[in-house]
Amino acid sequence: MAILEVNNIKKKFDNTEILKGISFSMEKGQTLSILGSSGSGKTTLLRCLNFLERPDCGTISVNGNLLFDAMQAPYSEAEIREKRVHFGMVFQQFNLFPQYTALENVALAPKLMNKGKTSDTEIDSMCKELLSKMGLSDRMNNYPHQLSGGQQQRVAIARALALKPDILCFDEPTSALDPELTGEVLKVIKELASQHTTMIIVTHEIGFARDVSDEIIFMDEGIIADKGTPAQVIDNPVNERTKQFLSNYSGHS
Amino acid sequence: MFSSVTISLFEGFLGTLKLFSLTLLFSLPLGLVISFGSMNKNIILRGPIRFIIWIVRGTPLMLQLLIIFYGPGIFLGMNVWGSGDSGRFTAALVAFVINYACYFSEIFRGGIQSIPKGQYEAAAVLGLSKSQTFFKIVLLQVIKRIVPPISNEVITLVKDTSLARVIAFYEIIWEGERFIKSAGIIWPLFYTGVFYLIFSGLLTLLFGYIEKKLSFFK
Repeated sequence: MAILEVNNIKKKFDNTEILKGISFSMEKGQTLSILGSSGSGKTTLLRCLNFLERPDCGTISVNGNLLFDAMQAPYSEAEIREKRVHFGMVFQQFNLFPQYTALENVALAPKLMNKGKTSDTEIDSMCKELLSKMGLSDRMNNYPHQLSGGQQQRVAIARALALKPDILCFDEPTSALDPELTGEVLKVIKELASQHTTMIIVTHEIGFARDVSDEIIFMDEGIIADKGTPAQVIDNPVNERTKQFLSNYSGHS
Repeated sequence: MFSSVTISLFEGFLGTLKLFSLTLLFSLPLGLVISFGSMNKNIILRGPIRFIIWIVRGTPLMLQLLIIFYGPGIFLGMNVWGSGDSGRFTAALVAFVINYACYFSEIFRGGIQSIPKGQYEAAAVLGLSKSQTFFKIVLLQVIKRIVPPISNEVITLVKDTSLARVIAFYEIIWEGERFIKSAGIIWPLFYTGVFYLIFSGLLTLLFGYIEKKLSFFK
């Protein structure tokens, strides 16, 4: 059974249709990368999955349970909060909370969500372990402004993982980083892929997407223009738009 | 002579302090409420609140004191403030609280709106509720940003309290002026400046300390 099923998602801003009916599904433990030029709707799609935007049309199911249906009345804030935890989100701009240390950033949400079931020390040790996995064991008590962009983004990944989401989403996770810092973040994502974390990655790093993904979606003007394994979409593209896109990026990846 | 003047000026300064501290006590929370109103999506709520802020910020505080003190008697024919000194004090306090709450509300609004959208989105995807987001994520960042403008307003308030003299509220300038009539000397009036200076100096130190305390994050 597919872990995620997205069916006919449409989204309009003012009168511009950004998503024109997106459908796809993915299996548990897979890594899906979404490629496409700016304005193709890939970030909007990710934001719809995380309930940061409300699709005008379509359904989203996780583990066979219908999570979102645009035909239904607007969900309450509490309902959305409950549905949201199926997805984790890593932002382009990290969006760490500046007044909390790395560890506090990671532990904040688990502590707020935990209603006395687990002790705070247990949560802290779980979060410390996550940060160690991210190679940040000596940075746990630093505040975000004391960390490099790459370190901040790795804290943000740990923060998203701490809630044990079914699907972890990345919105251009290395686009705000200096080139010499992208490697450390990509390495962490690769490790997660090798441990079969279910991930959706919106990225411009084509070489990285080829290495890490089980499946690639190529988006163009609000639709899925091409879809397949990295070998099909990146190495042997058939679709004209995909070819054009890849040739614009060749040399960058 | 000097010490007896100092003592009577100190008595006057207690009036100043009383108006100052009670104004802060009420206008800071009221300002927060007004700022939420002025940011409300609903124009029916936002419109009138923005209108009131415009009136209050667009007219002199001295005029507001006079209207609030004499207005009810003249237009409604009733004495809402009670008689004597306590009535004057209540009227002065109401005028100051409304005036400063409006100024504070604009500072709060600026502070709250300066928090990047990404902070709210990060909190949202982590499943935080709206109140958790405000109290756990946004509030301290807002406080850090508004400490300098708030400190400005607070120091202005120390000196603005002297305006309450127009409705015969007893404070330090009043006390200083009294010596002109009673003893024919003007230096006690000038001497009141030292009280203001020392007090605003202490406030500057206090706000400097708060700013430093909040400098652990950026």
